[in-house]
Amino acid sequence: MTSLLRFESHNFFRQRLLLAALSGRPVRIDRIRSEDDNPGLRDCEAGFLRLMEKVTNGSAIEISYTGTTVVFKPGVIVGGRVQHDCGTERGIGYYLEALIALAPFTKTPIHATLTGITSDNQDVSVDTLRTVTLVNLKRWGLDAGIELKITKRGAPPLGGGEVTFHCPNVRALKPIQFTDEGKIKRVRGIAYSTRVSPQTANRLVDAARNVLGEYLPDVYIYTDHYKGQDSGRSPGFAVSLVAESTTGVLLSTELAAEAGQTPEEVGEQAAYMLLKEVGRGGCIDTTSQWLALLLMVLGPEDVSKIRLGALTPFTVQFLRDLKKAFGTVFKVAEDEETNTLLLTCMGVGYVNVNKKTT
Amino acid sequence: MEDRPKKAHRPRVAGAKVEKKHKTNAKNNPKAFAPQSGRKAERTSRRNQDLSEKKLHVPLVDRTPLDPPPVIVAVVGPPKSGKTTLIKSLVKKYTKHSVGEVKGPITVISGKKRRLTFIECVNDMNAMIDVAKVADLVLLTIDASFGFEMETFEFLNILQTHGFPRIMGVLTHLDEIRSSKRVSAVKKSMKRRFWTEIYQGAKLFYLSGIINGRYPNNEIQNLSRFISVMKFRPLVWRNTHPYLIADRVEDLTDPEAVRLNPKCDRTVTLYGYLRGTNFKQSTKVHIPGAGDFVVDNVSDLPDPCPLPDKVRKRLSEKQKLIHAPMSDIGGIMYDKDAVYIDVTDTFSKVAISDGGADGAAAKGNMSQGVKMVVDLQDAQDTLADKLQGTELRVFADSRPMRAADLAADASKRRPMFAGEDEDEDEDEDEDESMDSDDSDEADSDAEDSADDRVRRRQHVGDISEDDMPAGARNEEIPYADTDSELEVDSGVEDLDHMSADGSEKDEGDDDSEDESDEEELDGNLRWKQNLEERASSLFQRRRRARTIMQMIYDDEEQSMPRTAGRLLSGRDGNGGQSDEDEETSLFIQRSSDVTVTDSAKMVFSAADIDAWKQKDIASLLQGRFLAVDEMEEQENSGSNEDGESDEDGDSKDGSDDDNDGGSGSDAEVDDAEAERRRIAKKKEELKRRFDAEYDDAWDEEEKQDMFEEAKDIMGKQQELNRQEFADDNPELRSAVQGHLPGTYVRVLLKEMPCEFVTHFDPAYPVVLGGLLPSEETYGFVQVRIKRHRWHPKILKTNDPLIFSIGWRRFQSIPLYSLDDGTRNRMLKYTPEHMHCLATFYGPVTPPSTGFCAVQSVADGRASFRISATGVVLDINQSTEIVKKLKLTGVPYKVYKNSAFIKDMFNSVLEVAKFEGAQVRTVSGIRGQVKKAINNKPGCFRATFEDKLLMSDIVFLRGWYSVKPKKFCSAVTSLLLSNKTTWQGVRLTAQVRYEAGQAVPQKAGSAYRAIERTPRRFNALRIPKALQADLPFASKPKVQQRAKKKADKRLAVVLEPKEKDIITMLQQIQTIRKEKIRKRKVQKNEKREQAARVKAKEEEKALTRAKKERKEYFREESKAEKRKASGGGSRSKKARREE
Repeated sequence: MTSLLRFESHNFFRQRLLLAALSGRPVRIDRIRSEDDNPGLRDCEAGFLRLMEKVTNGSAIEISYTGTTVVFKPGVIVGGRVQHDCGTERGIGYYLEALIALAPFTKTPIHATLTGITSDNQDVSVDTLRTVTLVNLKRWGLDAGIELKITKRGAPPLGGGEVTFHCPNVRALKPIQFTDEGKIKRVRGIAYSTRVSPQTANRLVDAARNVLGEYLPDVYIYTDHYKGQDSGRSPGFAVSLVAESTTGVLLSTELAAEAGQTPEEVGEQAAYMLLKEVGRGGCIDTTSQWLALLLMVLGPEDVSKIRLGALTPFTVQFLRDLKKAFGTVFKVAEDEETNTLLLTCMGVGYVNVNKKTT
Repeated sequence: MEDRPKKAHRPRVAGAKVEKKHKTNAKNNPKAFAPQSGRKAERTSRRNQDLSEKKLHVPLVDRTPLDPPPVIVAVVGPPKSGKTTLIKSLVKKYTKHSVGEVKGPITVISGKKRRLTFIECVNDMNAMIDVAKVADLVLLTIDASFGFEMETFEFLNILQTHGFPRIMGVLTHLDEIRSSKRVSAVKKSMKRRFWTEIYQGAKLFYLSGIINGRYPNNEIQNLSRFISVMKFRPLVWRNTHPYLIADRVEDLTDPEAVRLNPKCDRTVTLYGYLRGTNFKQSTKVHIPGAGDFVVDNVSDLPDPCPLPDKVRKRLSEKQKLIHAPMSDIGGIMYDKDAVYIDVTDTFSKVAISDGGADGAAAKGNMSQGVKMVVDLQDAQDTLADKLQGTELRVFADSRPMRAADLAADASKRRPMFAGEDEDEDEDEDEDESMDSDDSDEADSDAEDSADDRVRRRQHVGDISEDDMPAGARNEEIPYADTDSELEVDSGVEDLDHMSADGSEKDEGDDDSEDESDEEELDGNLRWKQNLEERASSLFQRRRRARTIMQMIYDDEEQSMPRTAGRLLSGRDGNGGQSDEDEETSLFIQRSSDVTVTDSAKMVFSAADIDAWKQKDIASLLQGRFLAVDEMEEQENSGSNEDGESDEDGDSKDGSDDDNDGGSGSDAEVDDAEAERRRIAKKKEELKRRFDAEYDDAWDEEEKQDMFEEAKDIMGKQQELNRQEFADDNPELRSAVQGHLPGTYVRVLLKEMPCEFVTHFDPAYPVVLGGLLPSEETYGFVQVRIKRHRWHPKILKTNDPLIFSIGWRRFQSIPLYSLDDGTRNRMLKYTPEHMHCLATFYGPVTPPSTGFCAVQSVADGRASFRISATGVVLDINQSTEIVKKLKLTGVPYKVYKNSAFIKDMFNSVLEVAKFEGAQVRTVSGIRGQVKKAINNKPGCFRATFEDKLLMSDIVFLRGWYSVKPKKFCSAVTSLLLSNKTTWQGVRLTAQVRYEAGQAVPQKAGSAYRAIERTPRRFNALRIPKALQADLPFASKPKVQQRAKKKADKRLAVVLEPKEKDIITMLQQIQTIRKEKIRKRKVQKNEKREQAARVKAKEEEKALTRAKKERKEYFREESKAEKRKASGGGSRSKKARREE
């Protein structure tokens, strides 16, 4: 009876599986790199499928011989204790983002331990997830007991970092009205370094502060140097910046160093990126646009409204996928004054059927 | 002096004394009104608290819209209890219509703000369950002359498990009770019983008799008043699901398809008022009794029974509308598909032609109007078909155009890339297809190398390009040149193409050229330009919003529109060219590397950042940062008077500046002043904080309690929900919000089983229940269940039960269990008077949904049919139910504390699995499995806390997991020709009984009588030597010999006196015995005689009764026959109810 969701291409792989698991509809993804020299699923995608299997009960995953087609029949989202090795192809953020989206709807509260690369330039770093994404979850009524702990840092290419993630489960989310951008009142950030000189972090901070200080007096960037066991297997450093507004809007950017880059370069670039992000506006930063929209759709049958800056292609595609999976269409209105978009939707009345009653 | 009258007392009217007196009136005497005893005071206050707490309910969101759908009034009762008469009476009261036959829902307007839909519930378990799920108010008709019937109580139990809507009892047939004394007694006793079942004080109506086939007007008037003031509490299930009661069902299947295959799937439309929550296009629906369906289309229809818009004191006769398409109330109905006119047989072509010769004669005599109607029925094609056939010739020599050709053209699209068009989905937007036809030619002419861009424009920027004037295009609708796109799937190609093209502005120019060419070609578009100029700016604005949504949702090729305008831009490979656009764009563009990474993170290269640095960032970000003075205000510390906000400096610099800014003594004075003010402000702030922290806790009146707070939040959210879409156009609303409850809609369902149509019976309600996203999946549902105390039998594990949960009715096979704190243990039978758990395979339902279960919906047994009730606890895809398993073995060799055990396992592997497991003997000696014996498969060594006997039995307690059967079948009662005969899986006992099989018994389980031979112990012999050594206390003593009894051999010689006594006694005894014997014989004789007389009388009575009965039934059948020949409808109805 339940209708199959059909998608194509390797892109948006996680989001599509997530939508399948949340809507309870089986999904079939075709043409996964079918034109590529190396067709089929990558390790990270296979790893993600394994993670999905761990957090669900009764899921069935079928992968075609060439790996270009995946069928995922979701089971019940159970959560509980999960241990996952994220590999070195993608960062922990790749997996953790999806876990955060699933975590409120599990049967038992999730306690996940993920190992791998804590921050790189492909995926959202764990710092941003901790300081921005998880903080934003409070608006949907997920306040107590949500925690992300970074026990070890792991820079690319070899990783070796470890984070633990706890999240309570809820029966239903709350609708949100988050349209007041406010004004940026302060900037906070974390500059970390592993297996390099402890001074590196300070150099990052100085470079970023030099740029941001022009606009704002209240800039404070924490430095975080990891040593010994906790510092992973590769040297590296990165900075994650969060601009906080008077109404609690958190806009963030982050940048990890690539080979040959000096801390000054990284810090400055990150600061400019933050300015760019601030210029774009909105109440949710570009990286977690999709998560905000997902949680709005999964709310009760009430109106949720949010203000976003420019939509990324990722978000646009996600909106389409949301329509496919849940049938929800957002009302998108443009606010010409601030050059932002107001997205409004009615929740689907999603109830966490997995959670037990007493 | 003495007799002079005394001066009357004049109380003081002013002064301190009076004021004092005013103060000390009765209420200010606290002692006088203080409770006498502390305990009593405590009790009163506690009682008051209890009462006020009782009134509270969990606050629920009330989702009834401002103009609510009609209230569903279900009339339920056992057959022949006056349901139809009640509905007829009420309908007559409200609308002055006389309903001939009550079929399907009847909607009437009952007042200025209320409409009612009456449903009659037939006496069938399926219908009762469905009605209980949708009824807002239940009128329970009870035949007072008979008393309560089982159906009433069954229905009450169904109601309770599905939310308990409002109930009013209606006692009918009171006129059949002769004496008035008896009537009042019956009323009283029935009221008591009714109250215990529902609540104390539940409303029970008495209808005293029938006048003209209806109940007395004044009584119905009273009843209607109660209905009109009834308030309804939102029910959880109905508050979270959309639903609809079909008051009209039409079969839209092509008649030709039906002719070719009478059993083909049907296309059916259902009509009705939406209820519950918003109904979205994508909602899956369940029709209880038919199954799950995908809604093909939902469309709003004008309300057939609208509430009066003018509010007068009373409803005018014109406003008293009735809508009952299934009943025989005449009129015309419109809808999307057709116009329906109720006609009598005189208009029917079939009736006329059937009439034969008479018919032909009649045809000649027909009036003109009738003839026109009959001729209409001769039409071969539908209007649409005829339109398809019409031709239009523009020029004399041109080929005539046909509508069909145009339609074909419009729907045909030329493929761009072979792969791309395949991706396109079926639901092509209307405006897309509208535009595509006129631009096809343009493409071929105007485009050479970059033809793909224009090609795409047609479905991205359709409106803007075609509709906007050329001048306005760039500013107003900037994405007019949505020339190219980013493929999500094959994005690389496009990107290559883009970077090769260079700047986006150039592209825009190219495009505008193209467009002008295009417009010359497409002359037919020019009129639209003028139209557009006239359009108001508001309109543009709104359409703009729509078009952003179009860009997101309508581009089915998963393209990412890109324009040179301000809506879109971003960054391409070179970067930097379209900076202004980038700053103001509402979409960010993807660069190739991001496409590959499948990540939401936007990464910018150093080049981007450099480009960004070049710009005037400060002006771009103006107003985005909190100015220093604002910041200080925020922090509630004193703000400096100079007020010069220094955005660029940090706070320290700023304060330095301030200090430097002042000059001389003025500055010092100012400083002192400022300092004082700052301190004052700080103090004030501190006081405010202190007050906020401590005062509010005590100030009860101001502070809302939790209950009110929750209600407040809900109210606010409801208000938001209403306002958010208030000024949007209907299409957008239906896309985003769905169809609102209270609207009258037409729901198109495709691929319905043909039986739904062929066996359709309006007496059975058709409920269309919307399902939430997760509710269409199946899994193991764990419920808390209790056998109903009136159900005659306990329930057995693995016996099928029919559950009614949510919208669904389905049969499944439950497995009962009980959680003992550590594990979930299977039960063979449900416990008596206790809840237990049941697990079965079924549709996922949100936990804490109530349900009821019956064993069969088919039979109308006399016993209580509701088997069990309960609530859903948990949903999972696997179960953890275990039953006890005991493995036994016996020792074959016993050492001190270890023993070797055999016969417990069969192989070494099995033993290995249980190494370390706890074992025990029957006598209670505990032990542990140690190690398998290799050469003896299944044997193992075990250690115990004591030495075993060879006769001991060793057992191992284990747990065996049991799985419920994966069986679930929906009760498809609506698809049957006889709706009451649905038969699912039978009970095992029933199957055996019907097959004449005995219950299979295992040989080993058969009972054998246990022979317990008394154990014989040998006498204890103590060796003499040992005896000698024993202390005296332990020494065996010489046994005392038993006392001698009187010797039987000795004769007893009696004394003569003694002899006399004994003889005498014997004689008396004999006489007494004889007396008793005689009395017994006499008694028997008497009894027999009485029985004979009684039998004779009974026989007489029986023959008399037989005779009477015969007489009665003869009369009855005569009356029946008379009635049957008289009016057919009554008997038909009666038959149905039986």
